[in-house]
Amino acid sequence: MTYIPSADDLEVITREVWSSFLDGDPSGLLAGGPGLDGDRVTGCVHLSGAYTGSIMLQCSAPAARDAAAALFSIQPGDVTASEVVDAIGELANMVGGNVKSMLPGPSLLSLPSVVHGQLSVPGAQVVREVAMLWRAEPLVVSLWQQAAQAA
Amino acid sequence: MRILVVDDSKAMRMIVVRTLHLAGYEDHEIVQAANGREAVAAISQAPPDLVLCDWNMPEMSGLELLTALRSAGWEVPFGFVTSEASPAMRDQALASGAMFLIAKPFTPEDFQEALDPVLA
Repeated sequence: MTYIPSADDLEVITREVWSSFLDGDPSGLLAGGPGLDGDRVTGCVHLSGAYTGSIMLQCSAPAARDAAAALFSIQPGDVTASEVVDAIGELANMVGGNVKSMLPGPSLLSLPSVVHGQLSVPGAQVVREVAMLWRAEPLVVSLWQQAAQAA
Repeated sequence: MRILVVDDSKAMRMIVVRTLHLAGYEDHEIVQAANGREAVAAISQAPPDLVLCDWNMPEMSGLELLTALRSAGWEVPFGFVTSEASPAMRDQALASGAMFLIAKPFTPEDFQEALDPVLA
C-alpha cells in the first residue's frame, strides 16, 4: 500500500525548516491554532508523476513578512513584496521537496508559485493538513492529491 | 578559493552564503548566480574552485548546468544544494558528475562534511 505522509510528518518537516532557517528554535512553532481566515500568503509546489498533487504552505500576511525578514536578515518593516514572494516560495519548495521524498516516485517537482490570498487546485483534494502558530500567527501546511489518484 | 553559489532564490543564496561563513569558509571569495545561464557566464569569466547549485531552477536547471559544463570539458567540482534528496536523485547527481548533494534544510556541519574534502 502506498504511504502518504501523515499530518505529523508535515509538522516535523515544517519544524525542521523553521528551526534551521528562521528561529533556530523548534519551540518557536506551536502545534494547533485557529487556522487561517484572513489576509494570507500561499506558496505552492506541484508534483506530477507517480504522485500527482500539491504541497501548499499558507500563512498570515504578517507571518509571511516576518518569515521574509528572518530569511533576508532585515527588519520586517523593510521587507518588499518580491522578498515575500521569494521567501514563501523557497519555504514551500523546501517543505515540498522533503514531503516529495516520502511519497512514491518518480515524480517531478514544479517551481514554487506564490499568491497573496487563497489558492485552490482544480480536481485535487486535501489529504493531509496541519495547522500551527508561529509568533502567534497562523500557518497551515497541506498535502493535496488529484482526485483521480485519491479515488 | 572561489565558490559560486547558484540558486534562483535570493533568500536561499543568502542562507547558503551565511552557512558558508558559519562553516568556516568566510575567507573564500563567494560569488552568486541566479540561474544556470548566469552561472555559465560567471564560470566562463572566472572559473571557480567549487559550484554549489540548486537543482530546480527556471531558465536552466542545475542538472542541465552540470551536463553543459561536463560536455564543454569543464571539470570544476560541483555539488547540489536542493530540497529534494531522494536516493534516486543522489544517484542521478553523482552519475552526472556531481561530488555531493546537500539536502535543504542544512547545517554548517553538513557543509563542512561535504566541502572539506573538496576545498582542503
